[in-house]
Amino acid sequence: MPTIIAAGKVDAIVEKFGLAWPKFFAQVIIFWVVFTILKKYAFGPILGMLEQRRQRIADGEAKLEKIAKDAAEAKQNAQALLDKAEADAARLVKEADEAAKAIQERRQQEAVSSANTIIAKAREAAQLEQEQLMSQLKREFGRMVSDATSRVTGKVLNTDDQTRINQETAAQVSA
Amino acid sequence: MLSSLSQQASFSPLLANVHSYASGLFGESSTLAFLTNSVLVALVVMSIVLWFSRKATKNMTLVPHKAQNFLEFIVEFLYNQVVGIVGEKQAKLAFPLLGTLFIYILVSNWFGLFPGVGTIGWGESTGFLSVKAAHDPLLRPPTADLNATIGLAVSAFLVWLFLTIKEIGIWGFVVHTFGPKGGLKGVMGMVVAAVFLFVGVIEVVSIIIRPVTLSIRLFGNIFAGENVIHTMSDLMAGQGAIGSFLGSVVLPLPFYFMELLVGLLQAIVFTLLCAVYIQLSTTHDDHGHEEAHH
Repeated sequence: MPTIIAAGKVDAIVEKFGLAWPKFFAQVIIFWVVFTILKKYAFGPILGMLEQRRQRIADGEAKLEKIAKDAAEAKQNAQALLDKAEADAARLVKEADEAAKAIQERRQQEAVSSANTIIAKAREAAQLEQEQLMSQLKREFGRMVSDATSRVTGKVLNTDDQTRINQETAAQVSA
Repeated sequence: MLSSLSQQASFSPLLANVHSYASGLFGESSTLAFLTNSVLVALVVMSIVLWFSRKATKNMTLVPHKAQNFLEFIVEFLYNQVVGIVGEKQAKLAFPLLGTLFIYILVSNWFGLFPGVGTIGWGESTGFLSVKAAHDPLLRPPTADLNATIGLAVSAFLVWLFLTIKEIGIWGFVVHTFGPKGGLKGVMGMVVAAVFLFVGVIEVVSIIIRPVTLSIRLFGNIFAGENVIHTMSDLMAGQGAIGSFLGSVVLPLPFYFMELLVGLLQAIVFTLLCAVYIQLSTTHDDHGHEEAHH
């Protein structure tokens, strides 16, 4: 009896909602057609594309990270080069300064030496000239004394006299 | 007192006369009796979905065009949801079914909101190309036909069964359903085994009921939505031409928004429940097995 009632209820439900195998299978077939085509021609390619894009983004990020690392290294290298260049420049400036000072000192010494030489030469030349003048002066005095003596005495002086007068005059002039 | 109040407050005359079944387009005795108004809309929905998926996947590029971008957005969103529920491994197998279910149900639900669906058809003639009410509408959303919702639920059930058997095997499924957990031995172990055997029977009943609950929930919500919109549209039918026109435009408008939400919600519920069923049956009881081995 309960089975008959249940069967009757099922029949009522089937009739009320229009349940029928052909309609059911028609709906199932349509859904499976959509499912099969979407699975093969839509979800597969779309998921593949998403994966490809995800991979590309991951690669891009990896490259970006590498570029950032390389840039940091390059910056570090550039800084090291700059530091080295600055140190070299400072050393060169110092060396140039020292060299300039050495050259200046040497030139100064050479100038002093040259001046001393010039002064010594001038002094020698003056000495020589003085001696020449003195000798000439002695000779002139000797001649003038001889002339004066011969005029005063009226005597012609011989060579010995002249020599002796010259020597005496030179000795007096020198004194 | 309550009975008379209930009779006075009966709304049945107020409800629109929307059939609870899909109407055949060629009569019940025809060989094309299976071609109902809901099957016709199902074919239209299928065409729309396949046309758009073709448009979206044609000439795919890494920088997507509009259709590709839209479909990618939907697929990526759904795939992430599915992965979150069933895990990465099962998602690869289960996603085509779940994705198709969501898209097909959503488009079917929303298709029912197009003007003309349920309102253009055959009925008592009131003039040239005019009927009093479309008793046999030309178009009916597939999800408002129990044949279609049962078909969807049975399809989902079959795929669920396939994935479950593939993942844990027939014996694994039996152990998963009826096997005792906790690793107890002796008398307590036997008691626990009896309890789990009983729980297993309940589990089997619940598994068998799943397609019924899934199909009736979806059908009930969409059919109810159809009824609500038809009822609201006809509410001012006898108030003159202008009143009838304004009533049929203004009154159902808020319910259209509600039905948009219901359509989306039911697609989500159906899909997520299927995902949860797959997750529940394909999860390995590693912890329980380890304890049992000890």
